[in-house]
Amino acid sequence: MTPPAAPRVECRSVTKVYRTGGEELRVLSSVELTIAAGESVAILGPSGSGKSTLLGLMAGLDRPSSGSVRFEGQALEGLDEDQLALLRRNRIGFVFQSFHLFPNLTAQENVRVPLELTGVEGARERSRELLERVGLAARAHHYPSQLSGGEQQRVALARAFGPRPTLVLADEPTGNLDGANGARVLELLREMHDREGTTLVLVTHDPAVAARCERRVHLSDGAVVRVEP
Amino acid sequence: MRARGALHFVLMESRGTRGRLVFLTACVAIGVAAVVAVAGLSGGLQEGLRASSRELMGADLAVQSSRPLPADLDAALAEVVPGARRTDVIELASMASALASDGAAGKSRLCELRVVDGEFPFYGELGLEPQRPLGELLDAEHAVVAPELLSTLGIARGEGLRIGGAEFRVAGVVLEEPDRLDFSLALGPRVFLSRAGFARTDLLGNGSRVKYRALIALPAGVDTDRAEEFEEELEDRLANEPGVRVDAHQDSQRGLRRGLDRFERFLGLVALLSLVLGGIGVAQVVRSWLATRALSIAVWKSLGLRPREVVGLYLIHALFCAAVGSVLGALLGALVPLFVPRFVPDFLDPGLVRAWQPLALVRGIVLGVGIAGLFALTALTTLWRVPPALVLRDDAEPLAAPRSVRWTAALLLGAGLCAAAYLQSERLDLALWFTGGMSVLAAALFFGARGLMRAAVRVPRSRLGPYVAHGLSALARPGAGTVGAVVALGLGTLVVTTLAVVQSRLEMELSGSLPAEAPSLFLVDVQPDQWDTVRGVLEDAHATNVESVPMLTARLSAIDGMAPARGWYGEQRLTWRAELPPSNALVAGALWSDPERAEVSLEDRYAERMDVGLGATITYDVQGIPFDFLVTSLRSVEWESFGINFFAVVEPGTLDDAPHTVLAAARVEPAREQLVQDRLVADFPNVTVLRVRAILEKIRALLERIALGVRLLGAFTVAAGVAILAGAVGATQLRRSSEVALLKTLGVTRRGVAGLMATEFALTGAVAGLLGTLGAGLLSWGFFEHVLELHFDLPLLPLALGVVATIVLAVGAGLAASTRALSVRPGRVLR
Repeated sequence: MTPPAAPRVECRSVTKVYRTGGEELRVLSSVELTIAAGESVAILGPSGSGKSTLLGLMAGLDRPSSGSVRFEGQALEGLDEDQLALLRRNRIGFVFQSFHLFPNLTAQENVRVPLELTGVEGARERSRELLERVGLAARAHHYPSQLSGGEQQRVALARAFGPRPTLVLADEPTGNLDGANGARVLELLREMHDREGTTLVLVTHDPAVAARCERRVHLSDGAVVRVEP
Repeated sequence: MRARGALHFVLMESRGTRGRLVFLTACVAIGVAAVVAVAGLSGGLQEGLRASSRELMGADLAVQSSRPLPADLDAALAEVVPGARRTDVIELASMASALASDGAAGKSRLCELRVVDGEFPFYGELGLEPQRPLGELLDAEHAVVAPELLSTLGIARGEGLRIGGAEFRVAGVVLEEPDRLDFSLALGPRVFLSRAGFARTDLLGNGSRVKYRALIALPAGVDTDRAEEFEEELEDRLANEPGVRVDAHQDSQRGLRRGLDRFERFLGLVALLSLVLGGIGVAQVVRSWLATRALSIAVWKSLGLRPREVVGLYLIHALFCAAVGSVLGALLGALVPLFVPRFVPDFLDPGLVRAWQPLALVRGIVLGVGIAGLFALTALTTLWRVPPALVLRDDAEPLAAPRSVRWTAALLLGAGLCAAAYLQSERLDLALWFTGGMSVLAAALFFGARGLMRAAVRVPRSRLGPYVAHGLSALARPGAGTVGAVVALGLGTLVVTTLAVVQSRLEMELSGSLPAEAPSLFLVDVQPDQWDTVRGVLEDAHATNVESVPMLTARLSAIDGMAPARGWYGEQRLTWRAELPPSNALVAGALWSDPERAEVSLEDRYAERMDVGLGATITYDVQGIPFDFLVTSLRSVEWESFGINFFAVVEPGTLDDAPHTVLAAARVEPAREQLVQDRLVADFPNVTVLRVRAILEKIRALLERIALGVRLLGAFTVAAGVAILAGAVGATQLRRSSEVALLKTLGVTRRGVAGLMATEFALTGAVAGLLGTLGAGLLSWGFFEHVLELHFDLPLLPLALGVVATIVLAVGAGLAASTRALSVRPGRVLR
């Protein structure tokens, strides 16, 4: 009997409190969540429920006020900024709501960034291949300001999946897109998840978007209120 | 991450920011130009002196002494350098006077006499009129003189003059001497005499201050670079001849070169100041650049770039711009040695300065990149604070930068500044003073600026009008970079104002009236039997504060029975007196306290340099006879009193009967000085008259020329400050554009907007000017009161002018940098 695969991400009693102007804002309260390797999970909730914060903690972009976030069994709070950066470089991809492409770089150069960072051979060819996969090979030399929102998000997808990370985190990937573009981006996300076997955690406030994932975690006021199925 | 990838990131990231980085380049270029200008001009002059060393000496080797040269010098030469040629020269200062047709004495002038016997010079050419060899023009009855002497005495070629009691006719005029440089401090115009002519004078009396020189040319076929080798051999051969010095041509103009070294050291540090200001500008540009890149930086971090890799990315940017700026600045600075001598040919012979100085360019570029890199690094440490969570939340809390990072950057900056100052000055103590002083000044300006700006915010504005009210709020606006601009502009103002105040005050000291009790004339080589008559001449001229002391020349031959170090072998002037003059104060021991021994009292710093204290025995050789003196007291001397003071004063009763002269001083009204001089020279041709006012005027004129160069350098520091201000303004282009659009939308005219901005810049300039001139006043006061020990009254006018000039500069630079923002149309920006 094969032992169960180690979870990709574990959140144990994770709490996050922000201090702004002398006031405390509790964004997450004792969140318990385990995400298995290869799983696709949607985190749902209204605005201000702590979804993006939870995503940021999973990526090591921020640190919990208490509790522990583990990635492949390793507690992130024990890592320094350098180690967290290396973790993100080699193991985690991110897709942002606002795309966050580098405005000074072309589409292809944006996709090349994580490939260069991980020292992938043939980064130029691989980035071209990724852009073809997302249907933007013809726009490889355009700057983000010359691309539509949907096109920019597809470039961001190609960038996130480029170095074959074990975990991709997507924060409202369709939040700034219209219906058609949003659907296209989601389809690409699912395709890349299926092809690469990457664990996918997706934050959304849209139940229709969440329905495309294997599991749905509902957050409200910083706590997990429901998990489906 | 591989290097090629990193370089690729740098190139990619630089797109879109190049306009902003122009200011960074300009900041570095100005400072490097100053450094290269100083190093290039000084190096060019030093190289010129070295290349012309044989012409500047007129020989390959020179043997000199204040006594007649050793009789066996020829034998020594034959042994060390067989076949060498020798010409003897005697040099001394003396008085020359016109000889009117009735034989009476006319106007007189102190001149520098050169008595030539043989071929002169061996190298280089004298510019003579008529163009004939010097030996043909000179004989027992004739002299060759500088044109300045003819005009001063009011005589022409062919007419007569009197020197040392003998009459001569002017056979020719010397227009150019290869070994006489225009910027050296000569006592008077040149006069050439032959040996036979000199023998007719009575200038070689007791105590005459004469320099005997033998100029030596190496035989043909001998490598002239071996001159230093022959110098050493000759020195060994003449080791038993005390007071004899041998120099190779490579050592020619030694005093001048030492002076140049000191000058280069001082100017090098002033130039470095411009570069340091440029560094502050770099830090400012980098900080404001990073402020616009915060999100990009967060994205880099979220993609997996480590903090130090992000720092490296932006540091390479900054270094690249610094390198471009350094090269541009170096090229600009390299033009200085090429063109400046052409503008001041009477001060710097263009033919003497070797303009191409590659090492100066390398030094400038290395310093430029280094200083800019260090300042950029301190600004880049803020990168650690950018939280990667900024990609998710605009209000993500900044991270804490590791203390080690901040301290390391600060220490590196301090060490780097010190190293740069050492490179410029070649002295560790100066480097430490420069670094420490700069840090204290910058800190004082920084806190002063912050304090003033915070105070400005609190000023009630209801009655100030819209322009001033707007200017005051703009002054303390966070992120405006105003503090950095104020510090840099304030430092520039401080440097320039301090230099100007110190220089003008020194000029006043030198050209103004002498201190009330100070003599205006010194009389040298007065024979004891002449003194009563000479005093009568002074009294006839209503001279006051007439003072006279005996003086003889002796050689320090031993200290506590041991031969002194070679540097102390030269002639020493001694006097004797029962009581000390008012300008001397005992600091140790007691005057003439030992009835058993002959005593000497030494000036305290002189004793320190000789490493001699109370109880030591000093032996002086007076015309071959040794005299022992016990050091029983040490004195402090107020040299600035201009009175007659000596390093060594011996007890009366020991040397009184030795051959000596009288040194006298007196204060004569300026209008009578020339008459007194003319009469003394006519009646006592052996007496040399030194007019203090004339000498001070020479020094003042030289100082003025030097000050011009220093002030030009100071202008670089101001330019750096202005560039930084313009950079700070440029960095806020976007904000200003939005602001201008809004103001125009509200109905403010373009002129009105310019007025608002001008008020903001004027207030910035006022803060910088106020702090800078305050600092300048303090520095100048400290320099005069504690270093020069002269009374100093704060000159209000130059300081006020400093503030006004800073305001004008700030307004000019600020408005120039805001041209684009001023032209923006409201609709475009508000869309």
